[in-house]
Amino acid sequence: MRKAYLILMITFQLSCFAQNKEVLYNFTPIPQSSLLNPGADVSYKFYFGIPVLSGVSANFGSSSFSAYDLFANNGINFNDKVRNVINNSSSKDKAQVNQQLELFSGGFRVGGEDSQSYISFGFYQEFDFLMYVPKDPAILALDGNRNYIGKSFNLGDLNVRAEVLSVFHVGFHKKLNEKLVLGGRAKLYSSGANATSVKNSGYIYTGQSAGTPNIYDQIISSNLELKTSGIASFTKDEYEGSIPKDIAHNTFFNGSLGLGLDAGLTYYFKENLQFTASIVDLGFIRHTKDIETIRYKGTYNYQGVNPSFDPTNEPENIFDEFEKAIPRDTLYNKYTTWRPTKFYSSLQYSFGEARYDGDCNCKGKINRKYVNAIGGQLFMMSMPVEPFVALTAFYKRSIFEKLDIKATYTFDSYSNKNIGLGISGTLGKLNMYLLVDNVLEYKDVSKANSIAFQFGFNFVFKDSED
Amino acid sequence: MKVNFIYRIFKILFLSVLFFSCSSDLDFDQTKDLKLEPVFVTNLAYFNVPATQLANSGGGQVLFDEQFFDAFKEKFFRDNLIKAELDFEIENTIIRDFTVEILLLDANGQILETDSYSVPAYSGNSNVIKYPTEVFENQRLELLKKTAKLAFFVRMAPGPALDQNSTGSLKLRSGATAYMEIE
Repeated sequence: MRKAYLILMITFQLSCFAQNKEVLYNFTPIPQSSLLNPGADVSYKFYFGIPVLSGVSANFGSSSFSAYDLFANNGINFNDKVRNVINNSSSKDKAQVNQQLELFSGGFRVGGEDSQSYISFGFYQEFDFLMYVPKDPAILALDGNRNYIGKSFNLGDLNVRAEVLSVFHVGFHKKLNEKLVLGGRAKLYSSGANATSVKNSGYIYTGQSAGTPNIYDQIISSNLELKTSGIASFTKDEYEGSIPKDIAHNTFFNGSLGLGLDAGLTYYFKENLQFTASIVDLGFIRHTKDIETIRYKGTYNYQGVNPSFDPTNEPENIFDEFEKAIPRDTLYNKYTTWRPTKFYSSLQYSFGEARYDGDCNCKGKINRKYVNAIGGQLFMMSMPVEPFVALTAFYKRSIFEKLDIKATYTFDSYSNKNIGLGISGTLGKLNMYLLVDNVLEYKDVSKANSIAFQFGFNFVFKDSED
Repeated sequence: MKVNFIYRIFKILFLSVLFFSCSSDLDFDQTKDLKLEPVFVTNLAYFNVPATQLANSGGGQVLFDEQFFDAFKEKFFRDNLIKAELDFEIENTIIRDFTVEILLLDANGQILETDSYSVPAYSGNSNVIKYPTEVFENQRLELLKKTAKLAFFVRMAPGPALDQNSTGSLKLRSGATAYMEIE
């Protein structure tokens, strides 16, 4: 039963995450913002995250339906709800989940007190799930083909990928001058489990045309492929063990490895006009461990039974023919998957000079601080069907010297009224942050098309606090 | 140990969301009510016997064929099929009367059911007969589900002689409608 819930939750409710962390992006009081832009203008003497609690994030999204649509306790028959959801979805609608848990992270300045070069590093676990609504196969399962004579049911609608991985990363960023910060990050991925079925094609067709010997033209053309790594051994009968434990073990110690790169920059046109851009997770994983690919490829034209009344003809077995035409192939080839690559950019205008920045400029530098900032952000992410794009407008304010807030308004395919709020505060050396997406939806989360949040705790040491 | 710890983190994570959110009453048990009721149509059988294959001097004649039909070998299909309909359509352009018999046989060759369709001789006019739908429910459906082979008898009644130059043919087209209920 619990398993059934899990599968349902994963399949329907959580389908989530656009991975857009618009509140965290360029929210530089938080060290983790450099995970979204390695060239973010973040500075510290050194910092370290509280293990396991430094970066917790989850993001659920579904572009065409919410948990309420399916599971509301409102007396409407569940089958009708499923039907409504399918009818109101297109094969471009998707459900996503992304979850990240930072196990450890830290960073330090290199090259002395006047240096503005920083190294940061960390290790996090990530879970990704993306599924498009399999509209045509779902209609076929709900209704059958009787009322759809002449329609080709598109098997390309089957499109899903899921992955559990761990990521070890080391980044470097340097403030080259007052105008420019450049940064990069190298990543080592270790994928504990991966299932990818994103390049399917084919159709199931039932038609009727005059002059043919049969009542129907029935063709199944299939080019379906599911690639898995780190999963095949769980499906074997002789497997005895705990799947979560084994996946965790594989993720951290025995995964399929991959490499990735982040790069980014911050550029100040003027002191109060800032531009940033970054690319995150430009990388791949080479799946080599416990790999299994299942493929159904072929074309079958179903004619029905055809007696010839000729005793010399051997009787045919039509279903054997089907299995011959579209055999189930199991392959053991290594394969490569590309990480969902993210691109961020922002433009920010700051105003209102801070009064509390009262420390003397002992070093002779004039570091003006602004209280307010407004601007816009762009987010794009690669996806199997079409890239995901989101636009964000934001407002940032320093309430006290050590308390910053950020509010965002985001348009994307999940929602056009996504308001995000973030707060980052420092108590002594303890930096805490909580960022929440889609705050309007929290009055009834079950009706939300997407929900995202991040929170974490770090110890941050700055020069002035020495 | 590690897994336990991760569970605990997740608990914290989800609880923290609950603290500042509300949710409508959701009922996940509804998934138990999920019932798919697709209806599939498919070809069942067809043949086309030309008059030349029936050449004789005017007496009766019988053609016979037997074919495997293992759709019901699939347990999933057997278990979830709640009703089936078979439709037969015969077009006769041969100047003889026919009776077409279709037999459902089980794996041991035992006859489960015999359906018989009489076909009038061709007289120059359109001669397509659509027979009433055979509906399989309850007891009759249970027999259908045991079907492993289909046997066909084409019995030609005596009449004018047929030879290699005779025209016309006897054509059968048939389809099945499967009503599924998957819970």
